[in-house]
Amino acid sequence: MKKYIAKRILMSLLTLFLIIFVLFLLIRIMPGDPFSVERMSAEMILQKREELGLNKPVLVQFVDYLKLLASGSFGNGTALYNGAPIKPILMKCLETSFKIGGLSIIFGSVVGLLIGIVAALNRGKFLDGLCTVVSILGVCIPSYVFMIFLQYSFAHKIPFFPYFFDPSQYLFSSIMPALSLSLFSISTIARFTRNEMVEVMNSDYVKLAEAKGLYGFQLIRTHVLRNALIPIVTVIAPLVVDLLTGAMVIEKIYGISGAGKLMVDAISGQGIDYNYVLALGIVFSSMYIAVMLLLDILYGIIDPRIRLTTKEG
Amino acid sequence: MENIYTPDKNDFEFISGRDIEVDKNFSSQGYWKGVAVHFFRNRFAVTGLILVGVVITFAVFAPVFSSYTYEEIVSINDGGREVIAKSLSPQFSGDGSQNLFADKTFIFGTDDLGRDLWTRTWQGARVSLIIAFVAIFIDMLIGTSYGLISGFFGGNVDNIMQRFIEIASSIPTLVIISILAIFMEKGIGLVIASLLITEWIGMSKIARAECLKLREREYVLASRTLGAGSFHIIFKQILPNTIGPMITQVMFSIPVAIFTEAFLSFVGVGIVLPQCSLGSLIEAGFNNITILPYQILSPIAVLAILMLGFNLIGDGLREALAPKLENM
Amino acid sequence: MKKLLMLALFIFASLTMTACGGGGDSGEKKLNVMLGSNVVSLDTAQATDLVSFNVISDCIDGLMQLDAQGKAIPAIAESFDVSEDGKTYTFHLRDAKWANGDAVTANDFVFAWRRHCKVSDKYSYVFGSTVACVKNADAVIKGGDEKTLGVSAPDEKTLVVELDAPVSFFPSLMCFPAFYPINENFYNNLDAGTYGTSPETFLSNGAFMLTNYLPGSVNIQLEKNSSYWDAGRIALEKFQYQVVSSSDNALTAFKNGTLDVAQISGNQVEQVKADEKLSGDLKIIPTSLLNYMSFNQDPKNHHAGALSNTNLRLAISNAIDRESLAENYAMGGARATYTAVPIDFAPNVNTGKYFSEDQKQFADVVAFDVGKARSFLEDAKAELGKDNFELNLIYSNDSGDTVVKVVQAIKSQVEKNLPGVTINLQPMPKAEYLNNVTSNNYDLAVTNWSPDYDDPMSFLTLWTTEGSEIAEHWSNAEYDSLIEACTTGDLAGKYDERWDAMLQAEKILLDNAVIAPLYTSSRSMLISDKVEGIEFHSIAVEQVLKSVTMK
Repeated sequence: MKKYIAKRILMSLLTLFLIIFVLFLLIRIMPGDPFSVERMSAEMILQKREELGLNKPVLVQFVDYLKLLASGSFGNGTALYNGAPIKPILMKCLETSFKIGGLSIIFGSVVGLLIGIVAALNRGKFLDGLCTVVSILGVCIPSYVFMIFLQYSFAHKIPFFPYFFDPSQYLFSSIMPALSLSLFSISTIARFTRNEMVEVMNSDYVKLAEAKGLYGFQLIRTHVLRNALIPIVTVIAPLVVDLLTGAMVIEKIYGISGAGKLMVDAISGQGIDYNYVLALGIVFSSMYIAVMLLLDILYGIIDPRIRLTTKEG
Repeated sequence: MENIYTPDKNDFEFISGRDIEVDKNFSSQGYWKGVAVHFFRNRFAVTGLILVGVVITFAVFAPVFSSYTYEEIVSINDGGREVIAKSLSPQFSGDGSQNLFADKTFIFGTDDLGRDLWTRTWQGARVSLIIAFVAIFIDMLIGTSYGLISGFFGGNVDNIMQRFIEIASSIPTLVIISILAIFMEKGIGLVIASLLITEWIGMSKIARAECLKLREREYVLASRTLGAGSFHIIFKQILPNTIGPMITQVMFSIPVAIFTEAFLSFVGVGIVLPQCSLGSLIEAGFNNITILPYQILSPIAVLAILMLGFNLIGDGLREALAPKLENM
Repeated sequence: MKKLLMLALFIFASLTMTACGGGGDSGEKKLNVMLGSNVVSLDTAQATDLVSFNVISDCIDGLMQLDAQGKAIPAIAESFDVSEDGKTYTFHLRDAKWANGDAVTANDFVFAWRRHCKVSDKYSYVFGSTVACVKNADAVIKGGDEKTLGVSAPDEKTLVVELDAPVSFFPSLMCFPAFYPINENFYNNLDAGTYGTSPETFLSNGAFMLTNYLPGSVNIQLEKNSSYWDAGRIALEKFQYQVVSSSDNALTAFKNGTLDVAQISGNQVEQVKADEKLSGDLKIIPTSLLNYMSFNQDPKNHHAGALSNTNLRLAISNAIDRESLAENYAMGGARATYTAVPIDFAPNVNTGKYFSEDQKQFADVVAFDVGKARSFLEDAKAELGKDNFELNLIYSNDSGDTVVKVVQAIKSQVEKNLPGVTINLQPMPKAEYLNNVTSNNYDLAVTNWSPDYDDPMSFLTLWTTEGSEIAEHWSNAEYDSLIEACTTGDLAGKYDERWDAMLQAEKILLDNAVIAPLYTSSRSMLISDKVEGIEFHSIAVEQVLKSVTMK
């Protein structure tokens, strides 16, 4: 088991390293200079390039960047916010996004699971249809449209929530954006849960358990849900990362200074800021890899078969 | 025992037609026919098909038959002063509207530049659909080939190709689009490019899974013993058998593509004005949502109908292709 | 499973509880002012936009400030003397303090000005010979020794500024944020690049100080600076800025009381006027923001330089229906403009008439006349030997939806009125847009310019051979010499001759159709009746909150 985990961690680190390299290369081969050349003479441009180390070979630049990362910094911006250090700004934005994203994941999985379970237990009946409609609606309506609707109805018509995100009422004003963000995960999880549950309920071992006299909640709890949950975790994991990156428009509508907005600023603010794009890319990629790693290890623990096949392969 | 009756041939007569085929053999039903039967038995799937069909019909024909073009600013000359038909709520000619354009019909109203929203909405749907179809078609080509090759050869080829996929899928879509946006001109090209880069991965995963399953089949072995080359087997023997799941995946990818386009246009890196797509129309309507809500309503409704339609078709296809789920 | 359900219940319960708690304690009402876009920078050497200038001037006082009528009155400077020849200004500073207790000294200005000329690649020209004419500024900006800049501090409370030429509007120029001070000690103790990136790294000497700010944040909170020299005037204890990019959001937020001061789009003005409750809160504030179209006249430009042909430019300029642009698309009090200097700007001190009072003075070259436009086009076709012109119009799409509508209308009008001319619209973010116009990669650009000081020269210097921001690649020796005479030359001290020379320069500009003026903007503001005393200006700082009181 330990060997399996060690191997997985090693692989993930390698992947992360490759990703940083690819991102770095992509951004370095971009045409143009990563700073604004407005009102700059050729000499000044040359000097600035020297300052930023852009005259060195790309590989040397890459090693420099790795050193920078190792020292726990992302360097300074190239265009955005006049070259202020990236880290504090990035951290603050990530914190906001994490809180809202976290809330929406909790919301999405709880509601999604409930809807899925209810639908599976009432298969073919009215409730099932209702749940199907709800889950399909979630895939059909863009989350920002839902956000607009929520903002209009529950912050304007019925002024219960603050109309804009208010950092002094963090959790309270996170509810609406979290709700609209979770819409997509609710429907994905609900659909998936329902199908998994139905499949498990039709399986022989559940029939056997039924034959032995188990019924109702006990049956669902001990036999159905546990086995249905394993694949469901697979859907939830990538959603986690999607949620954090997909909040761009919602952040714009609700006035949240989060990671999505930072990304938009980095590509369309005062000039494309290569270092912000790089930093955000690295952060999101490592998050994705971390989630996947966690998932793999979890699987390995839950289901020995996976561990063994990986060893063979 | 002398009265034993000996039947002679007059006691018998040939039965004609009807009963001669007592041992009826049901003609074997083709795979696709079976899928079609399953599919059309599913009410939801048929609804989806109708919805998508209606939208496509309108997207194709409505701009053609409309009395305005999608970029035309409707105006009339009122005593030497040019008056523009801007921000009119939906109206039909002769329904008693009290404005200078009472004789004109604007089914979805007009936008704040004075363009007919009916034409623009369907033109937008057309653009969105074209983007989605083009992007997904190319994705299918790339993704399927990649997945099949990776799955068929296995071993180190597979390992390396899967590592590449892992890296590609770990980089968030948004980051990829940002990098693309740095050196590509905004517009349809950028949207299609970002869809190309992000959507093929799902396709390739499915193609690979199918290929892993199929490559152990006897017919592949037979083909191989007869001397067929790897690529002949992949594309002539295995590919045709992966079509089903691939089409299902396409049906789920198209809405994602339309969604992504809408999102990109909303953020401002999508369609270039005065062209329009559903996303750019929603973005434009968003600026007037409380004072002129009808401007955003029609593109959102068309978007939602398309999403719903494709999802229902996708669900139906999946069930029809994998009848094991049918009893669910 | 039970645990899971319990968890879910717990989460819901805690959410609803916080919900009730959160909803209740809104308590004391604080002023909430909308900003139309992000603050670009709080560093005076980096800020270029009116939004940043607003926030900076809330926190930092310069030598002078604007009073309610837009006149320059002393701020940190208690008084000032001008030498006979108008070339030396001596400012006597009052006893003002920075928020950390340091005194505001003349050296803080010297430091800030030198630093500005040295590091800024954006606004340093305001020190140079086209605007303030500070001695040696041009040399310092080009990389010279900053110690030679004509500003010095003979003692802590005296600031002496030497100019190359008399500048009649110099005192009013001192209200412009580029001339604000920075505390040298405070600045030197910060890590490189961190100045103005958080409340801790930004020191104010003005009416308010930051309590919550991060670059790019959409919510900025400020509170009264109790050590402000004029603290008695400030009634506002706390307020916040909220960045709202959608004007529809802004209108709704104003309706439900979330915003007390909001800017809305022209589209919404009609709706608001019809609304009894809201119409009383609506204020149309005329500005001096000139919106115009630039023609790239570089003969080497990628469309074979068709626009270097004057007749083609005149044709386009005369094919645009400016009244319709202003009334139907820009809306909200926009005024069609036929001059290169905006309407209601820069009054003549002798006659009191605005510089562009007469909008018809160039009617033979700037008007809406399809017949004339087509005959210009015919001439252009004959001269260029071409029948079709395809032109790229670039504009920045991240500063509101007005420009997006205007360019679409221009495209439609020009293509309709001038058969053979096609305009391709190319929207882009502001930074990319600036990059394209400076690197000669455009044909037409719709842009705007807001004056930095109360003088027509704030516009006319834009189009000299060395002009700034957008390169039209137009060069005219007569124009250049007229402008030079008015800034550093022999006309600098003579008011009336200078005035006439400027009118003459404007005529050259428009006869050649170097630009096509479009309209002068207005701001449509909604101001809650609880708020009183906001001052609006058309130069330097857009809005001043120092005298605001809340009911």
